[in-house]
Order: sequence, then C-alpha cells, then structure tokens
Amino acid sequence: MKRIFNIKLTAAAMLSSALILSSCEEFTPVFTGKYPEPEQWSPVEMVVTHTIAELAGMYTPGKAFEIEDAIVISGKVSTSDQAGNFYRSLYIQDETGGIELKMGKTGLYNEYKPGQTVYVACKGLWLGMYGYDDDEAYGGAGMVQLGFEDPTGEYETSYIEVQYLIDQHIFRGETGEPVEPVAVAEQDLPGQWDTQADNQYVGRLVTLSGLTYGNEIFTLLYVNPNLDHKTSGNRVFLSDQTHGVTTWAMSEQKVKEHLQAGDWDAVYIGNSRDYTYGTVGDAKNKETLLKYAAPANVSQYFKMGEKEIQIRTSGYCRFADLEIDPDVLAGKKTIDATGVLTMYQGNIQFVLLDQTGVKVNE
Amino acid sequence: MAAIFILPQTAAAQDRQKTYGGRIEWYQNPVSGREGGVKGTVVNRNGRVPVADAVVALYHGDELIARASLDESAQFLFSDIDNGDYRLVVGAPGFNSTEVNVKVEGFVRDLVFVSLVSAQKTMTEFDESSFMEFDMDDSGYDDAPSLLYGNDVYSNIAGYGFSAIRFKNRGYASESQEVYLSGVKMNDAVTGYTPWSLWSGLNEAMRSKETTIGNEVYDYGFGGYNGVTNILATPSSVRKGWRFSALTNSALYRFRLMATYASGELDNGWSYAFNVSARLGGNDWVKGIYYRSFAYYAGVEKKFGDMHRLSLVAFASPTNRGAQNASTQEVYDLVGDNMYNSNWGYQDGKLRNARVRKTHEPVFILKYTATPLDNLEASATVTYRTGKNGYTALDWYDTYDPRPDYYRNLPSYFWMQDSDYGRNSYEKYAWAQEAWLTNYNSTRHINWDRLYNVNSHNLDADGLGRSKYIIEERRTDQNDINLNGSVKWQAKDWVTLTGGLNWRWNKTEYYKIADDLLGGDYYINIDQFAERDFASDPAMIQNDLDYYFANGSAQRLFAGDKYGYDYFANVRDAEIWANASFEKGHFRGYAALQGGYSKFWRDGVYRKGLFAGLDENGNEIISPATGNVLTVYDKDGKAITSKGRSDVADFFTYSAKIGASWFFTGGHRVYANAGYFNDAPTFNQSFISPRTRNTLVPNLTTTKTVSADINYTYSNNGYDLRLTGFWTKIMDQTDMMSFYDDSQNSFTNFAMTGIDQRHMGIELGFEIPLYLQNVFLQGVLSWGEYIYTSTPHMTQTIDNSAEVIIDNQPVTYWKSHPIYRKTTVDGIVTYDKDAGGNYILEKDQKHYVPSTPQLAADLGIRYRSNSYWFVELNGQFFAHSYLDMNPLYRTMTAVAGPDNAMTDAALEEHSRNWFLNETIQDNMGLSPQEIEYMAAQEEFDPVFLLNASVGKSWYIDRKYNFGFSLEVKNILNNRNVKTGGYEQTRLIDSESRTRYYRFDPKYFYMSGVNYMLNLYFRF
Repeated sequence: MKRIFNIKLTAAAMLSSALILSSCEEFTPVFTGKYPEPEQWSPVEMVVTHTIAELAGMYTPGKAFEIEDAIVISGKVSTSDQAGNFYRSLYIQDETGGIELKMGKTGLYNEYKPGQTVYVACKGLWLGMYGYDDDEAYGGAGMVQLGFEDPTGEYETSYIEVQYLIDQHIFRGETGEPVEPVAVAEQDLPGQWDTQADNQYVGRLVTLSGLTYGNEIFTLLYVNPNLDHKTSGNRVFLSDQTHGVTTWAMSEQKVKEHLQAGDWDAVYIGNSRDYTYGTVGDAKNKETLLKYAAPANVSQYFKMGEKEIQIRTSGYCRFADLEIDPDVLAGKKTIDATGVLTMYQGNIQFVLLDQTGVKVNE
Repeated sequence: MAAIFILPQTAAAQDRQKTYGGRIEWYQNPVSGREGGVKGTVVNRNGRVPVADAVVALYHGDELIARASLDESAQFLFSDIDNGDYRLVVGAPGFNSTEVNVKVEGFVRDLVFVSLVSAQKTMTEFDESSFMEFDMDDSGYDDAPSLLYGNDVYSNIAGYGFSAIRFKNRGYASESQEVYLSGVKMNDAVTGYTPWSLWSGLNEAMRSKETTIGNEVYDYGFGGYNGVTNILATPSSVRKGWRFSALTNSALYRFRLMATYASGELDNGWSYAFNVSARLGGNDWVKGIYYRSFAYYAGVEKKFGDMHRLSLVAFASPTNRGAQNASTQEVYDLVGDNMYNSNWGYQDGKLRNARVRKTHEPVFILKYTATPLDNLEASATVTYRTGKNGYTALDWYDTYDPRPDYYRNLPSYFWMQDSDYGRNSYEKYAWAQEAWLTNYNSTRHINWDRLYNVNSHNLDADGLGRSKYIIEERRTDQNDINLNGSVKWQAKDWVTLTGGLNWRWNKTEYYKIADDLLGGDYYINIDQFAERDFASDPAMIQNDLDYYFANGSAQRLFAGDKYGYDYFANVRDAEIWANASFEKGHFRGYAALQGGYSKFWRDGVYRKGLFAGLDENGNEIISPATGNVLTVYDKDGKAITSKGRSDVADFFTYSAKIGASWFFTGGHRVYANAGYFNDAPTFNQSFISPRTRNTLVPNLTTTKTVSADINYTYSNNGYDLRLTGFWTKIMDQTDMMSFYDDSQNSFTNFAMTGIDQRHMGIELGFEIPLYLQNVFLQGVLSWGEYIYTSTPHMTQTIDNSAEVIIDNQPVTYWKSHPIYRKTTVDGIVTYDKDAGGNYILEKDQKHYVPSTPQLAADLGIRYRSNSYWFVELNGQFFAHSYLDMNPLYRTMTAVAGPDNAMTDAALEEHSRNWFLNETIQDNMGLSPQEIEYMAAQEEFDPVFLLNASVGKSWYIDRKYNFGFSLEVKNILNNRNVKTGGYEQTRLIDSESRTRYYRFDPKYFYMSGVNYMLNLYFRF
C-alpha cells in the first residue's frame, strides 16, 4: 500500500513539475476573456508657426522642394472622402487659404472629421504644385500641395502613404464644428496665376452662387486602361460639347450605357492632331472600350458671370451617376455650388464634397 | 530444418481450420484423434481490436510445429496436438512480437486474447491537433493527418512522423481519405474534408481504429483509393480502466489534461466509457495561437445475449482556437522570424487574435449489431451531427485594411529594384522598413486600439457610433444525418460477402454574424463591394433586399445579428455496395462494386440586390429609388437569383475494385489492388459564388479515378517490410475560387474544370532487428511523381454582375510550361532562335501536385528495454515539395500581359508544341521571359530533420501503470522549413504596360525545435 502511495506521490510530483515547466514559459499571453475597451484617443495641440498662405508663398512654380525648417501649420478639415469625390487626400484650411494634404490612405473621414483641427509638422514633407502649366495663353497656376517626394518627377509631390511618415507629420487636434463655406463673388475669384499665396479662397470651402450651365464637358477615357495612358491611340477625349452626358460623372455602368447607346460613336480616338485610330463607333474599338470600361471623371462646365467654372467630379464617387436637373442643363435654372475651389492650369476647378453641395435655384 | 509443407489431411481438420480463417503450415504432421489444442484471437492491446495478418508460430521446445498466418478475424486454432508444454510466438506487422507459454492437457485451451503492443509510438501521444491547423479556407488547407497508422510498417512511421511537414500520402488530397466513425463515413458532406476536428482531444475514446491503405476494401465500406480509417468509438472498444494524463508541449498548445474511464464489458452485458479533456494555452513558436478547447465523450453499450448489441455514444469537442496566418517572405524577413503571425495585436495591452475558430459540434451515434449466426453479422447505425462551427475575421467598411501585413504597408510596395514595377520611392521604402524593423507603434500587429477609436469616433446624427471595423463570425452550421446498414456473411468457408447501404441527409447553413462591434454601436447590412460599383442605386447594394423593401433602409446590425449572406447547402447521398472475398489456400482475393446517387442544391435565404431574380409572381424586380430593373439574366436568358432554391445538381456514380494476394511460405506475401472510382463533385466546388447566387459551375461532371498498386510484404522473426508500387490517374476534377483580379479591376469567380492528375511512385517501409537485443533499425521511403496532366478549362465571371469575362477557355500553362534555350552574357539573358526565327524549346517543365514532399524518407533506430524503457532517434529527409499554384498565373491573360493579342490560331499552335517566334512576341505580346516568369512553379528546398523520443513506464502490482514519454522534434532547430503556402492571385501592372508581375507568395513554416512531454497514470 505504501508503495502505491509513493507512486501516486511521484505521479503528483511529475504532474506538478509539468505545470511548473509550462508556466515557466510565458503561459500564453493570448487573452481570452472579455477585452477591456481601449483608451480614447486624446487630441494633440501644437504651436503653429506659419499660415497656409505663408507656407504656400514659399513655393515657386515648377520648383517643388523638401521643407527643411521646423514649420508647423494648422487648419480645420474642410473635406471628406466619404462620398468618394476626394480620394486618399484631404484639405485643411485656415483664414488665409486651404491646402491639400496628400495622405495616401482611404477612409480618411473616419479619423479626420470635417471641422477637426489638424496640425502638420512640415519638416521633411514636400511642397509642390499639381496642375501647373507655364503656357502664357492657356496655362496657369495649379494647387500648392503638401506631400512627399516623387522621385519619378512625374508629379511634384507624391502621397505620404507610409503610416510611419503620417504619424510623424500629421497630428489630430480637437474636433469641432464643420467649416462654414464662404460665399465668393465673381470679382473675388482667383485669376489665372493665383495660388493660395495670392487669393485667400483658393483651396477653401466656398459657395458660388448663380451658376449657369455651359453646355460643355471634358472627360478622358482610355480604350484599354491597362495599356499606356499617354499613347494617343489609347485616349478618347470627350470635350467642347456635352456628348449626351447629363450626370456629374460616370460610373463604369454609365460609361457602358453611353457606349452601348452609341452616344460617342462619332468621336475620334486620339489627340486632336492625331485622328488615325478611327472612332469610338468602330466595332473593334467599341468592343475594347466596353470590355475595359472604367469609371470616368467628368468636368461639367458652368459660368459665373463671365468666369468659367468647371465642376469636376470623380467617376468613382457615390453621386457620379446623379442626373443634373434638366432645367439646369436647359439653362432655365441656375445653381449654387458649395465645394472646394481649386485651380488647374489656370482654370477654376470646383470640387463638390457630395451631392448636397448643389442647390438648384427656382 | 527443411520445412515440409503439408495441408491438414482430414476434411474435418480443414473445416475447423477454415472456421478460423487464415492458413496453417504444419511442420510436423498433426495426428488426428488427439484432443489437445490451443486457440485464441490476436488483438491489439489498444481496444482489443483483432490484428490482421498476424503470424502465430507454435513451438515445442525449440522445434517449430506449425505456423498460422491469420486473416482479419485474427483467430487461430491449433488442434490435434500432443499434450505437453508449448510456446506460442505471436507477431504481426507493426507490432512487437510476444511469447506465450501454454500447457496442452488433452483439450483445446482457449487463450481468448493474445494481445500485442503496437511497435510504434505506444508511448508517443498521437493527437489530431498535432497537425498544424492552418485554417486557410481559400488555399486548400485543412487540418487533417496525412494518414493514420494501423498495423502497417510504413504507415506506423509515416503516419505520425511525417505530419509536421504536412505530408500527404501518395500526394492525394486529404479529402480522398475516407474516415469512418463506427462504420459510418463521416467526411464532410459539403466539402469532403476529413472530420478529425470533431473529436480532437478525445484520443483515448477514439484510439481504437482500423485502417486500410490505398485501394484496399474495408469490411464496413467500399472505400476509395486513399485508404479507410474506421474509428470504432464504441464504449466496449475503449481500453478498460482509468487513465489520467497530463501533456505539455511547445509547438501546439501549452497544456492538456485528460481523464478516461471504461468499464469494459461487465458480466451483465453493459459497458460504458467516458473521456474528457482540456487543451489550453499557446505555444513557443507562433504567437497568437491559443487553445481553449475542451472535449467530452460518453458512451453506453449493452450486449443482449450472444446475438444483439446496442450502443449509444455522444461526444463533442467545444473549442476556441486562435489561428495562424501565412505571410510573404518579405514580412518574415522584416520581423526576422518565419513563425510570425499577422492575426493578432494588442488591445489595451492584452494580446488578441482576430481569427478564432469557435466550434461545438456534438455527434451522436446509435449502433445496433446482430450476430444471428456464427457466420452472419449485421449492423445498423444512425449518426447525427449538429451544432455550430464559426470562424471569426475582421470585417471593415469604407476604411483601410487593418491587417498589418497588407501589401500597401510593406516596404516593397514603395520601392523595387526593377523600375518597371513603378515602385520607385526608396525613401518611403526605408521609412516603412524602419517601422517594421523597430515595430514602431506596433506596426507588426493589428492595432486594436485604433480600430476601437475609429468606431467610437464615428458618431451619426443620433450620437450612435457606426462601426467601421467589426469582428465577423462566419458560420457553417451543419445538420447531418447518416443511416447505415451493413452485413457480413461467410457464405462458404472460402467466400465471404459483405455489403451495405448508406443514406445521408445534410443541411448546412452558411451565414455570418456581427460578432463584436469593437466599441461601436451598430453596423449596416450592405454589400460594400457592390457599393463600389453601384453606389448610385441603394437597392443594388443590399444584402437583404426584402428587408430593404419592407423597411426602406438596410438593417442596422447589433452584436449577434446575421448579415452578409445566408444560405443553405442541401446534400442527399445514397450508396449501395457489395464485396465478395475469396480465400483458398495461399490465395486471397476480392471483387467489390459500388453504386451511388448524390444530389445537392443551394437554398438562399437572402435576396441580394445584385441578383434579385424574379418575385413570387415571376415578375422582374424594380429598384424603387431609381426605377432600374434589378433582375439580371444569364447567357441562357434565365434570371439569376440569390433567394430560394437553385437547380439541383445530381450525379449517378459507380465504382469497382478488385484485388488478389498470394501468401508464400516464410512470411512473404504479394498482393495487388486495382480500382475505378467515379465520384460526384462536392457542393463547395459546384457553385460559382454560393454566397451571392444560385448559379452552378458550367460543365459539372463526376471525377473519375483509376488506381492500381502492387505490393510485397515480408514479416518474419522480427523483420517487417513492405514495398509498394502505385499508379493513379484522377480525371475531370473541378475547382472553384474567388479572388480580386487586377487585370479586370474586379472581384471575380474562377471555375476550373477538367483538371487531371497522375500519381505514381513507390513506398517502402521496413523494420530490422539488429544484433543488439531489442534494437531495431526502421525506415520508410515514399518516392513519387505527382503531376498535372491536363489543360483545364476555366470560366471567369464578375462577382458583382452577370458578366462572363472568360467563357470556357484553356488554362494554357496549368500542367506545364516551356523553357526556351537561352544564353547569358554578363548577366544579360538572350533567348536563342533557330534559322527560322523561332525560339528553341529546351524543356517542357512539368507542374506538380503541391503541398507535399514527393520524396520523403525516414531512418531511425529504436530501442525498447525489457524494463519498459523506450528510446528512438530518427532522421528525416524531404524533397520535391511544391507551392500550390494559382490558375490565374497560368492563363494567357496574365502571362502575356496587357498587350496580349494572341489569336486563336497562334494560341492553338503554341499550346500544341510551345511554338513561339519573334513575330508572336512582337505582335501578340507573348515572350519567353514572360512565360518563365509568370507560369513557373516554386519548388521548396530539401529538408533534413532530426527527432528523438524517450519514454518509460512502470507497472506496480500489475495493476497500476505510470509512465512518461518525451519527444523532441526538429532537434537541429531548422526554422526554414516551408510546409506549404499559396500564391496570391493579384497582379502588379508594369510601367511598360506589356507585362504583369506577381504578388509574392505566402508561406507556412514548420516550428523550430519543440518538445512534447506526456505523463500518464492508469489503473
């Protein structure tokens, strides 16, 4: 009997040594109970050194550069990518102007709320311009932006994109009420060479009132978007007239509908001086276009008095296929538009945040 | 002594002998009229299961009197022998031989049972969960042992020893292995997967099993070409007594406790048994993996007289288990650890895994067995499986991918050496690399705190937080009923007939629930992928259109609500089979036939906006917001629907098997099997996109398999050997996958039909006693070639629409790809051309069946002392293992790139003999470089592993048994052993726009050095 007792004792000892052996190793740290709610994020506050206009004033057209000084700007978030008309970037604005931060992430509105203060520690970021064209007659200013270096030289800046970089440069401050749009009169609109440094409305959320339809659109399609976008034979320009496009932009479905309806059959493939690729209506071209149809951005042209306003909308946004009021298209009614005032090659490009930015005047 | 082989002379003797199956070789003429004898049954000490192919030698002193080679019944009878002291030497392939002294005193002494101990792993814990459970639903991974060992010298070693490398026997998919429980086939009705996880953790209750290998037939079922394993699972088969064990190991879970009790058969005919266990904790190698797993088994059995036996068993293995994920080599290198797991992160300092298996699937078995006659046995079994099977994952809406190793978070996304990738920011590369190397802000892990903050930050007009990130639980809840009847009738002394009927009813609900809203208040039941394309029509983005119609908006989801998709898989199978076995002298043979009918259909609960179908009155459905017609039609003009019953797919199947074996004197046996199998495709291979619609894969057909093997075994005096050659051709398989196709910029469904493969090779297993007592040399070799032999066809459809992108086109480079002759000068490669400007074909590179070494070898030394010490050391070598291929990379679209302009004629000629010239390259965009880059299949590096185990058990008073075993695997701590993985399906656009690049493949690695210590106590 004693012997059996000993055996039991030995067994118990070995069992407990197994337990000890296993608990000497970190007894697995995977937690399987009810997880505690993490702490709430707390807003950051920083000392601001420059206004947006001052920062933009440091830029010389065509000369993007890396900011080497410890510059901090701040502004309130004026845009949202929720509707998809802004994509991978956001605008912040102060009283002097607005500037695009090329974040390079999607779903930014989840963390950067309209009206929230954002601080940008600019040192190490790049200041550059998008949409600059030095042609005296047709060119003009684009938009000064904050982003990262683009080593290809194709653009002046690239998306910041790397979370590590974002974490070191972009800081989220207090949330607040969304930015109130400013009404801008025709005479206050920026001129051909104006940037944020010259005109306080550039890059800000504004309302333009009494716009009349211009009976003109601009959009660029690619016959096969997987092939070179710069080759003339791969491009289709829909411009100078409306081409039957009555929506703010075109989703893939909408592009297909137009193609199938033959709305663009007479349009030539290629640049205006290079019409050697036939037309959209040619069977082979049509087949390829249909096969690779993709959403298309559209600029709908309006007039504010004498000034041309292009309302540019992404084909990927949620209101792309929203029909513009026929009375507006017919010139019977005007609209008031609220969105971000941007410049592209000296032209005013107006970007809606969402469909609520359009008010039809009775 | 020259063996004189004499058959028993008298008819009576012969008859008696036949009753007991097998053959007896007499070395001395038996003398008729003697009353003395000895009889018994050779059983496995585990579960008292008869041991087939046992050899019982009868000695008088040192003189061999007779040798009996037993059949499956394992019964023996030596009669007509003189009185005296005899010695029985009993052995069987895969078992340690034993000796029994018998005194014959004028009557037939019944030894009842002579039990043998399995030669292998009696002390090593075999646990189904030893098979690394990778949980890659989409990559063909599942959690199943490669093969189970029975009494076969090869399987004994390969079955357990090759599991860590994920060896698949003969290269066959694990679904081809038939797993029976109490004689009922339990392979999953919807997927065909082996069902081991149903009883994982119940090692003791499920220990008794019978196995066949390859094409062999089985008493309770027809079987396939990859063996049958039948787990007895009845209370009377559980080893009698109490048993407690504690196990700790460093590669799976931290700790296991188990208790078992079995009554054995009591005098009143009752037997009962139970088995419970708990498996807890994580392991040393892969962080984030954990088990919180329990298991229970209870069974009761009653024997009524000699004729009837009834048993009822219930068991389950309720489990929560954190899973592991595969990553690219870039990620492993950044972390400096091939065992990195991207599935987890810290939540408020606590480690949390996003991917958790949550299962509780009870199984009930009611079994009735009758033996109305000595030569007739019949059984009827009902099984019922029910419960829940869930697998959690992150889901997110309109925000970015939270997974740490998402490709846009990796350095390579920003910069690649080759500028054609268009990834050219070295500076961003360096920053991203820095973040990974330093684990800045937990870059390597899921940032749970951020997810919570996003959710609670997203307040709507009512002040409620709409979650952007949630944990979803994908559920596969089965209700599975099997009815099974089988009969075994020994019609004549030389012929035994077996046969049976099976009927299966399965209804499995697939759906998901919002499991955890991660700090938010609600989530919304819409299809965000549809929203990307059809945002302007609120009806088209609905997962549950009927709800939207009734309520005017999509459902707000709270924790526990169903969403996303909800449908039933319905499967009905019926099967009838019969087998006739013959046995005459040295010959044994069989022929078996099987016929089956199987049908399945989908029954959708949700009406999806994308595939609304027709309403109850057969009218088209209109979107109220836009007036668009939501009903879409397939190319045959039939409305595509998500709700209600799909067409029924049904198949008649038939299979046949034949086999013969010849026993030679001295323990030699030669046998061969051949079979033809016709198997219905499974539900999960047969719908284009079961989550969204009722559409069946076009051209569905049965899989046909022809298989044959020839075998030689030798078992004598402790020597044990099997050598097998096998050849199998599997034809007309179907495969179905869904993935994002960058060349289409869409989520697509890819159905591939007509996949053929051929498996051939040899198997060798041996065990040789060395001159030192109790020391054995043992080894196995599995050497084969498992290749694809057909050019399958594929149909690719857009997930979001009725659009068919590719309709029944060949997957050109699936079975092989050409390698053209080339010259390399100063690192510049140029492809040689003949005088006609044609590229010169150097080699047709075969493509291999992946995810198993095609060469596997094991050599070991085993020592077992008379005082129950056990030591084993073995080395293993694995080679020719290949990565699972993604068919997209073998299509002309992906290989030739965006400039693909191959004409039908050029494609036809190219496919025939790999003809390729400069004209094709220049005008149709197909180059030798592109083919070799895109179509090639990765071969893993060969592997050498060293393992050792030691154990000892003590018997006290012949009643108490206490012991331990310690196993150390991968002693050389090799942490670069790829056990599998898969190619991603994504493509990278090139700057030149003439070709595509691949995404990096993802791999799984084997753990480094690891131990398993088991302590047990039983009485």
